[in-house]
Amino acid sequence: MLSIDGLSVSLNGRQLINNVTFTVPKGRITSIIGESGSGKSMTVSAILGLLPVHAQTSGAISLNDKNLVEMSPKDKVELRKMHFFTVFQDAANSFSPSTKMKHQLFIFTGHKQGHSKMEFYQKMRVILQDLDLTDDIMERYPFELSGGMLQRCMLACALYTEPTLLIADEPTSALDMLIQKDFIDLLKKLNDEKGTTILLITHDLDIAASVAHAVVVMKKGEVVETGQVSDVFDKPQHPYTKLLLENHF
Amino acid sequence: MKSRKMLFFWLIILAIIFVSTAFSSFLAPYEPNSMDMNSIYAAPSGDHLLGTDQLGRDVLSRLLVGGKVTLLIAVVSVVISTIIGFIFGGISGYFGGVLDIVMMRLLEAFLTIPSLVIVLAFQAIMRGSVWNMAVIMGLTGWFVTARIVRSEFMRLKDSEFVHMAVMFRTPMWKILFGHLLRNSFPAIFVVTLFNFAGAIFTEVSLSFLGIGVPPATPSWGTMLYSAQTDLLVGAWWIGLFPGLIIFFTILCLQFIGEALKKQGGERSHA
Amino acid sequence: MIAKWIGKRVIMGTIVLIVVSFLSFFILHAAPGDPAAAYYGGNLQTLTTAEKERIAQAFGLDKPVLAQYAIWLREAITGNLGYSAKEGRAVSTILLEKLPNTLQLVGITLMILAIISTWFGLLAGMKEGSLLDRGLSIFSIASSAVPSFWLGILLMMIFSVQLGWFPSSGMSDVRGGGGIADRLHHIFLPVAVLVLSHVGIFARFLQDCVKSESKSYYVQVARANGVAEQEIRKNILRNAFIPYVNYVGVTIPSFFGGSIVVESLFGWSGLGQLLVKSVMVKDFPLLMGGVLIIGVVVVVSLFIIDVLMVVINPKLRRGVLRC
Repeated sequence: MLSIDGLSVSLNGRQLINNVTFTVPKGRITSIIGESGSGKSMTVSAILGLLPVHAQTSGAISLNDKNLVEMSPKDKVELRKMHFFTVFQDAANSFSPSTKMKHQLFIFTGHKQGHSKMEFYQKMRVILQDLDLTDDIMERYPFELSGGMLQRCMLACALYTEPTLLIADEPTSALDMLIQKDFIDLLKKLNDEKGTTILLITHDLDIAASVAHAVVVMKKGEVVETGQVSDVFDKPQHPYTKLLLENHF
Repeated sequence: MKSRKMLFFWLIILAIIFVSTAFSSFLAPYEPNSMDMNSIYAAPSGDHLLGTDQLGRDVLSRLLVGGKVTLLIAVVSVVISTIIGFIFGGISGYFGGVLDIVMMRLLEAFLTIPSLVIVLAFQAIMRGSVWNMAVIMGLTGWFVTARIVRSEFMRLKDSEFVHMAVMFRTPMWKILFGHLLRNSFPAIFVVTLFNFAGAIFTEVSLSFLGIGVPPATPSWGTMLYSAQTDLLVGAWWIGLFPGLIIFFTILCLQFIGEALKKQGGERSHA
Repeated sequence: MIAKWIGKRVIMGTIVLIVVSFLSFFILHAAPGDPAAAYYGGNLQTLTTAEKERIAQAFGLDKPVLAQYAIWLREAITGNLGYSAKEGRAVSTILLEKLPNTLQLVGITLMILAIISTWFGLLAGMKEGSLLDRGLSIFSIASSAVPSFWLGILLMMIFSVQLGWFPSSGMSDVRGGGGIADRLHHIFLPVAVLVLSHVGIFARFLQDCVKSESKSYYVQVARANGVAEQEIRKNILRNAFIPYVNYVGVTIPSFFGGSIVVESLFGWSGLGQLLVKSVMVKDFPLLMGGVLIIGVVVVVSLFIIDVLMVVINPKLRRGVLRC
């Protein structure tokens, strides 16, 4: 579905990503793991078409056989609007502080798809209930909700828009341990029940091991190993992966 | 890098203004108060570079000497206000607690009263000399400084360095003052610069209204005060040049302040 | 919650007014001459010795300073601010005559200022690095270096003396009939001066708010998810406005300071001009009253700004009103 082929990005003469190749198969959860500075987030920016203007990119990112690297800015916006949904790390700051949640949830979902407010309320209400969120959060401001609740609101938007690809960039790093597990379970459920394709970026090996089908290990802007979770975690090939696993368990 | 060059440029201009007014008695081509009835309202020319006024006095000479008065008032008032601001802000920040709360409420109250109104009120009772004016402005211009000094004190008091020093039994006030002078200097200096610009504004505004420096004393403000009537007879140079020099002096101070603020910001981010 | 909020403001306002009243009282007390004369001003000559003594007793002039202050304060609260030394009329009457004129000047200025600075600030903040962006930064520094009276003279020379479009002084024309059009015609230049000398700083402040808001996390998140730019912009503006309104509130006192200069220059018969005149002729009761009333006006305007802050900032609104 999404395949990245020989992607390199450099900024101000510095190589940030070098010859990155991997695929994200449809209906599965693929996880990119690596430490901070490994180029995980830069890869996400490249997929979303949100690299700095003066960054130099080579290689190909293709979604259903369309090359995203060569798309016009307008098409990239369309892609972010209709095909991707991205959940970021810092849920507490992901929403504008002085606007009620109902307006913000609307512009992330129904507004993009041309739904009326009425349609939006009906559909969103059901989704929120599924995620254990009560109706009244619609009337709340972000500062009145917890990080876990806000991250579930983000997920609610993803459930609403049903994106071709859901990207979750360190979605649990800012959450408490207990809530982390809940959120990961939600991701899993989403994938099981709706078949949503998920790209999960994380530095947490436990999380990758518990939900992902396949993993991509990155180090210093390069992919050092890819494969099915069981293969990589049981029989790591690359010394760096071995090191990661040794330090972990 | 570019901002450093700009800073240098504005510093030089400011230095020129300061030095030339400080040495005005040597540089002024004419005696600033000597009247020449043969050349009243002379337009700028070789004899009088910036022209003469309604009494035939040389505008350039009065500008230089007047600058001395204006800048002197500003310097004296800023020195006074900085000292008071340090003491008030220092006490408030050092002792903290209830005293701090009371002092800060009081300070907030002072800050809500238009500063020009306060100076004006004092002028009514103490008006008379250049020194009075400087003292009045000093006594009423320390509010912002006090607030900055207090917040710097608060910040430093919590810093690791001070905690360390306290463990080694160095008296708190010694550490704070020593450190304050070294670490908070940029922030306080920028405020002082803006205060200085504000003091110039206050002097010229009040003198322009006829309730500042006595009208007979040449200052940039009093020159503009008497220029009001001259403009109507078309002697534009009498009003233009004092205005320009005020403009450039304040501009220098603003740009220097901005540049320092930017540099301070960059340093604290690094 | 709301009681606590109002209580805090009332206390703060009271402190300000006590400070201002102290200042006012100090002026009168430090003023040279007979305090009875200072209170009764022009009427003094007509008073007999017995009457003078009665005044002295009524105001407690034979008592300690603090007691005198208390008496003066009691009188001031009931609206008795003494009599003008030069005009002989009650100070409160004169102040109430001048107050609307100053409020008109400052009010119209603030309105125009809010509109223009919002317009430019938003435009410049949205287009970072553009000509407007850099131009506004320079303009704001340059405009804050121009003394307002000098700008006033300049505008007067151009628009009154040369072009004759606007009157250079006064509030109404003999032929104008004192209608609202005539008033606006006269207020144009004073307002223009106040607006021009503040608009740069105001617009720049908003511009900086918009710029830093545009870089915030939620904007990046929204953009990464293809949220319509127009909607993102709405949120940026809403959030940038909160510090901006606060800033306008902080600068309100300086407008009443600025109106002193502008009113005097353009012969606008408001509180500012009154203050300057009373300093010139040493009319102390009038000066005291003027200082006091400006204090009251500032406290009231700050309260209005505080209410506005609660309205536009949901965090405060939730805290204060729970709605």
